[in-house]
Amino acid sequence: MSETKTFEIDFGKVYSERMRLNVGPQHPSTHGVLRLEVELEGEVVTEIVPHIGYLHRCFEKHAENVTYPQVIPYIDRMDYISSMNNEFPYVLGMEKLLGIEVPEKVQYIRVICAELNRIANHQIAIATFGLDSGAFTPFLYYFRDREMIITLFEKLSGGRLLYNYFWIGGLMHDVHPTFAEDCLEIVKQVRKTNDEALDLLMYNKIFVERTANIGILPADVAINYGCSGPVLRGSGVPYDLRKVEPYSIYDKFDFDVVVGKGEMGTLGDCWDRNIVRVREIYESCKIIEQAIEQMPKEPCDVRQAVPKRIKPPVGEFYCRAENPKGELGFYIISDGSPKPTRVRARATSFVNLSVLPEISKGYMIADLIMILGSLDIVLGEIDR
Amino acid sequence: MEYFKNIFHALYTIFVGMKITGLHLFEKKVTMQYPDLVHPIRDGLLPPTERNRIAVDMDRCNGCGSCARACPVDAIDVEMIRVVPGDEVPLFYDGTPIKTWVTKYTLDFAKCCFCGLCIEACPTQANRMTPEFEYSEYQRDKLIYHFERLTPEEAEEKKRKWDAYQAEKKKADAAAKSQKNETK
Repeated sequence: MSETKTFEIDFGKVYSERMRLNVGPQHPSTHGVLRLEVELEGEVVTEIVPHIGYLHRCFEKHAENVTYPQVIPYIDRMDYISSMNNEFPYVLGMEKLLGIEVPEKVQYIRVICAELNRIANHQIAIATFGLDSGAFTPFLYYFRDREMIITLFEKLSGGRLLYNYFWIGGLMHDVHPTFAEDCLEIVKQVRKTNDEALDLLMYNKIFVERTANIGILPADVAINYGCSGPVLRGSGVPYDLRKVEPYSIYDKFDFDVVVGKGEMGTLGDCWDRNIVRVREIYESCKIIEQAIEQMPKEPCDVRQAVPKRIKPPVGEFYCRAENPKGELGFYIISDGSPKPTRVRARATSFVNLSVLPEISKGYMIADLIMILGSLDIVLGEIDR
Repeated sequence: MEYFKNIFHALYTIFVGMKITGLHLFEKKVTMQYPDLVHPIRDGLLPPTERNRIAVDMDRCNGCGSCARACPVDAIDVEMIRVVPGDEVPLFYDGTPIKTWVTKYTLDFAKCCFCGLCIEACPTQANRMTPEFEYSEYQRDKLIYHFERLTPEEAEEKKRKWDAYQAEKKKADAAAKSQKNETK
């Protein structure tokens, strides 16, 4: 703070002082209520300390006082952009603990919903990342498409953002008759907008100059910090839980794991992390099309396996699934009563945020905003 | 050379983007002019599964409290009292008598998280979701909705009657017990 440095630049002497700057918690570019304590050397970031906890809602403590089905509305509110994906590992784990076999159609509906929500999440991530860099138009196009997905979820569950749709042993409601056609229409529109966004945003020279060679995250650092999802795959590590450890019925589908290749700059830069998200939307579209083709046509009671009273045996388990942001896992300890003894969530954004001080040192303050945007964090999940 | 190539590339990609936005000028508008031209309730745009404000049909409620136990945020408060024999009896929607008076049924929509678990828990289908979503208030206590049909005085009266009945029954029981002991 106190030391003063002198620089010789061609227009004279410049005095620079180390400065501490607060970014957030109400800053629009921090994607929520995140406060960054940044130490600057002129305009170069030398030290960065994230302060979290502004959105802390005692999820883990509260889950100890409610029954197992009542935990699901809280899980929705963790990563509020991709609620369907949040519910997935929890219900899968509970079904494993209770020994419930869910009908095949339910599993297909779950996969379709999870992939649609993955598309919606990646659309927000790319759109807001473009917004950080000053590209406003892709944001509008992506939000127009996301509205179609949200409307479909509203028809399914009744909620636009917080669904409570996956239940332990089944689903809340059956799908409406035109579900398959609606999904195919969404997939068609999503592909079209994605093609446009590639030209409009991703391959734009100004955008490439802003993001390539910025915030380079080498693969070994990413693995050491426990990063997952597009942050890890952007560094060239082909790790996707849907492929590595196929849960539910993901082994029935043919799709590729997208990895960054360092096309525009160094491997693992902001551009690579973002192109992984854009290409994953195409992969999700592929999965949805296959799932709709394979899904049993005859109607089935989606609640036939929902237990009346949920009283799991004594035991503990960890169940994980591939969230749009990475690996989301729940560690649940049961003591045989209708209420869990402990619910611990391995929040993806929390782990991914921990890599920010490591990769943003030595870049300009404007690049810091881009690096933070490329990590795609949600504060509801970090603070829980 | 590289310098001019970069300038050309930047201009080219900008024009590619301009072409795409230009084509979008002639597309259909997607903005909904809510609430003047388009209104979801008036135009029937809400799906039947919609989860909004909850309504309670007190003709069907017997005050069992299943909804209060199913609520993850304790937004529902239900109190009930048994009917004293010989007193007037509340009727179910189909005319069958219920054995309980619901003295209190409040739902705090400031707390409600619209998960829909109370609707599934109700054994008599008294709770249901309505499409109503515009009910903001300036004061928080106006969001506490009272569904019980008894006034506080009537509820007090029922409670007093039940307490008197219980006391009488206890006395009678004790008397019967002592009589029994005496006969022994």
